[in-house]
Amino acid sequence: MPEETILSDEFVRELINVGEVDILVGVPTHNDARTVGQVVQAVRAGLLKYFPRARSVIINADGGSRDGTRELVCAASINDTTTSDLSALRTLHSISTQYEGNPANGTALRTILAAADLLQAKACAVVSPESASLEPEWIERLLGPVIRESADLVLPVYVRHKFDGLLIRNLVYPVTRAVFGCSVREPYPSDYAFSSALGSHFLNQEIWSQEQGRHGTELWLTLAAIIGSYKISQSFLGAKSRLESSPSDLVKAMRETAGLLFCSMDCYPAAWREVREPLPVPCNGCQPTVSLEPMRVNRKRLYQMFTFGVAQLEPVFLSILSSPTHDELKRVTTLPEEDFMFPDQLWARTVYEFAVAYHRAVIGRDHIVQALVPIFRGRALTFVTQNREAGEEAIEKGIEAVCDTFEREKPYLLQLWDGGK
Amino acid sequence: MPISQDGLWYKDAVIYQLHVRSFYDSSGDGNGDFRGLAQKLDYLQDLGINTIWLMPFFPSPLRDDGYDIADYRTVNPIYGTLEDFKNFLDAAHKRNLRVIMEMVLNHTSDQHPWFQESRSSRSNPRRDWYVWSDTDTRYKGTRIIFLDTELSNWAWDPVSKQYYWHRFFSHQPDLNWDNPQLREEMWDVMKFWLNMGVDAFRLDAVPYLVEREGTNCENLPETHEVIKDVRARMDREFPGRMLLAEANQWPADLRAYFANGDEFHMAFHFPLMPRMFMGVKLEDRKPITEILKQTPEIPDSCQWCLFLRNHDELTLEMVTDMERDYMYDEYAKEKGMRLNLGIRRRLAPLLDNDRRRIELMNGMLMSMPGTPIIYYGDEIGMGDNINLGDRNGVRTPMQWDGGWNGGFSTADPEMLYSPLMLNPVYGYQAINVTSHKRFDHSLLAWMKRLIKIRKATPVFGRGSIQFLFPANHRVLAYVRKLGSETILVVNNLSSSAQAVELDLKPFKGNILVEMFGKNVFPRIGDLPYLLTMGPYQFYWFKLRRL
Repeated sequence: MPEETILSDEFVRELINVGEVDILVGVPTHNDARTVGQVVQAVRAGLLKYFPRARSVIINADGGSRDGTRELVCAASINDTTTSDLSALRTLHSISTQYEGNPANGTALRTILAAADLLQAKACAVVSPESASLEPEWIERLLGPVIRESADLVLPVYVRHKFDGLLIRNLVYPVTRAVFGCSVREPYPSDYAFSSALGSHFLNQEIWSQEQGRHGTELWLTLAAIIGSYKISQSFLGAKSRLESSPSDLVKAMRETAGLLFCSMDCYPAAWREVREPLPVPCNGCQPTVSLEPMRVNRKRLYQMFTFGVAQLEPVFLSILSSPTHDELKRVTTLPEEDFMFPDQLWARTVYEFAVAYHRAVIGRDHIVQALVPIFRGRALTFVTQNREAGEEAIEKGIEAVCDTFEREKPYLLQLWDGGK
Repeated sequence: MPISQDGLWYKDAVIYQLHVRSFYDSSGDGNGDFRGLAQKLDYLQDLGINTIWLMPFFPSPLRDDGYDIADYRTVNPIYGTLEDFKNFLDAAHKRNLRVIMEMVLNHTSDQHPWFQESRSSRSNPRRDWYVWSDTDTRYKGTRIIFLDTELSNWAWDPVSKQYYWHRFFSHQPDLNWDNPQLREEMWDVMKFWLNMGVDAFRLDAVPYLVEREGTNCENLPETHEVIKDVRARMDREFPGRMLLAEANQWPADLRAYFANGDEFHMAFHFPLMPRMFMGVKLEDRKPITEILKQTPEIPDSCQWCLFLRNHDELTLEMVTDMERDYMYDEYAKEKGMRLNLGIRRRLAPLLDNDRRRIELMNGMLMSMPGTPIIYYGDEIGMGDNINLGDRNGVRTPMQWDGGWNGGFSTADPEMLYSPLMLNPVYGYQAINVTSHKRFDHSLLAWMKRLIKIRKATPVFGRGSIQFLFPANHRVLAYVRKLGSETILVVNNLSSSAQAVELDLKPFKGNILVEMFGKNVFPRIGDLPYLLTMGPYQFYWFKLRRL
């Protein structure tokens, strides 16, 4: 059997024409024609404005779009046969390839990593095709620390609505900070940058045939950087606008976040067990990150889904949770909606016990991850209720308190991990 | 007498630019002279060039390397006599070498008798031969060219108590081309040299001849009228002679100097030169193809003049601010390398003495549409001395051998008009004609070969150009065509090996014959033609349908 190749022959031919580059900007897409043109134009403007002398390329890894996404990306090329409104010293290639298989961000990232490796890109950024608010400055803020300060991974810091990114604020950020000892606000980024060293290291990981190589790969990249002691930095990007889209699939999101965190803890225990204090990660140009516009959240529905889900999965929880935690969870489910409160400590212990159950594979691991979904709804309801009237400072304080709780409970995690229940 | 009757001879020319003062000193006084130059004509003939462009050799206080002329009708005594010049001219013609000389129409030295008379009183008959004013506020919209030294285009004359106009140094007052007597006098000057047999004039600083209020005083219609008049007189009385324009302008503005083929025969393509350097440093053909895309068509009888380096700074007037910054950072890291809006360095030091890049740049120079100029000493890779003032660092004595004064002069070294290059890399002991002649693969030997191949076909001088745009932007490829003869040129601007696929479908069936080694490459078929190229490599292929 010939060994599997990542890049198509046609794409390799195009990369040969691009040649060695200093900067590669990757844009993973799948039917993103609504926004990708605008995003790529901003990337192009950012490259020309902030890195006019760098050899740069924009690479689109597409999952089989049928809406003209790829053509929009290619139209951003600046060369000697096209006329551009922006003056450029160099040719700026903008090329597109369709990767094999079903649309998956991980596969797109692997294609981008392989291209960056082949072109020996010194710095690589990946931007989301949905980042309609992307400004040319983002390119500088993402790539600048890699180029100027030798950062290996630059993660974004966005201004988010106070009820946006609940899973990140309540689970991914606290666990990354408390367990892995790395205080980054967006461990699961959609706009980020990395060095050639980290890119090559990540490309050579044995994950690409596994789930984390297809979905949630960006979080895995962050964890790989933390575990590998790569230099991490954060850059403030501003508001992250999102397209109006169908409600996100929480089970899928849980697999891509909690699933990957648990998997990483399981695979690399030595990397996190000894971590005592989380290391602060520098943030370039950081500003307040919370916006407070009114937003309607259907708390009643959240409450119902929480109580219903927890009741439904009662037998599953018996095999995952310790008795005290299980009892406390049951107590919480009996609270009326108006008095509902899912405490920080219960949430931290629940997450840790799920991690241990995942480690021990007490039941199917995917079932464990899915079972966390209804409990998270309860935690999310509490966050929304507590912060309904809260201002920016109070929200930050609340998030800080959750992280502190996760840190305080880490010995509990270690104790469980080592055999106690 | 002119040596050939072909009126378009300048299209096939390979020009060698030199200072008489810098080339060879026959008298032992420390300055090159015409007798010395005549002795070195065999060298130039052997190099393969067929036209010599002489820098100004008129009597002059030499405050601007001879561009400050004090007498238009004779030779500066330090270079010899008028008779010496005539002997040199005849000797050159005997070797089929044509001679282009400088003619500075725009200004004279302030030591020129005309200016001395003009300033002597406001009623002097020659008062109006220069541009005088009671105020220094006229022609406000006119830029200052020598930014490093001049604060205004007007200078106060304490003798006649008026301001005089000067576009260059204040010791170079501009002539007033609105004056009919001045015009006739200047034509008489030109006739003086044309009657002697000079083949062409390089007209210095032509855009600035005439001034008009409310304009930028450059490229004015009245200036074009002056040129048209000179050209008409020359065609009528001296057919086959040539006018070359020095006009540092954008191609679109330069186009007007060709008019309908009734102004200049040739003009320097100033914006191309820095972009060739930029293209090689960026490893990207974009700057080169972009400027050539902006270059307008010119009449059939006209021609661009191309050069890599010359006696002036590598001018960066015709580039954007971003491009200028880039050029400074890459090619003039030391402040002393910069002058005005340019870089005062020679070819070899600019290219880090990298033989491959020197060859590539010369290969492009010889294969692009136009007539190439080689600056003296660049054929052996001479260096520069940025410690000398102004542009004197690129005007040091020619290095003939490793002996006394580099073979340039028998004078005591301290008598030389300029210090010799002495450093271990570019010094005359290391870089000289004799040492280059010892090896078949020296730069000099290679240049001879390049010129020979260029001259073996009229395609490079007279043919059309069509750019190919292979997806690999590091490769600059074009097809030169004249009648049934077709040449494919492929240049790798990159410091690393490159693969390139060329779309040669229109030439399907042709065999490629590499012009240096005469080796045959595969026939062009339906598929893109794949070439692999070494760092900075270039190919010239003759397409043969056999």
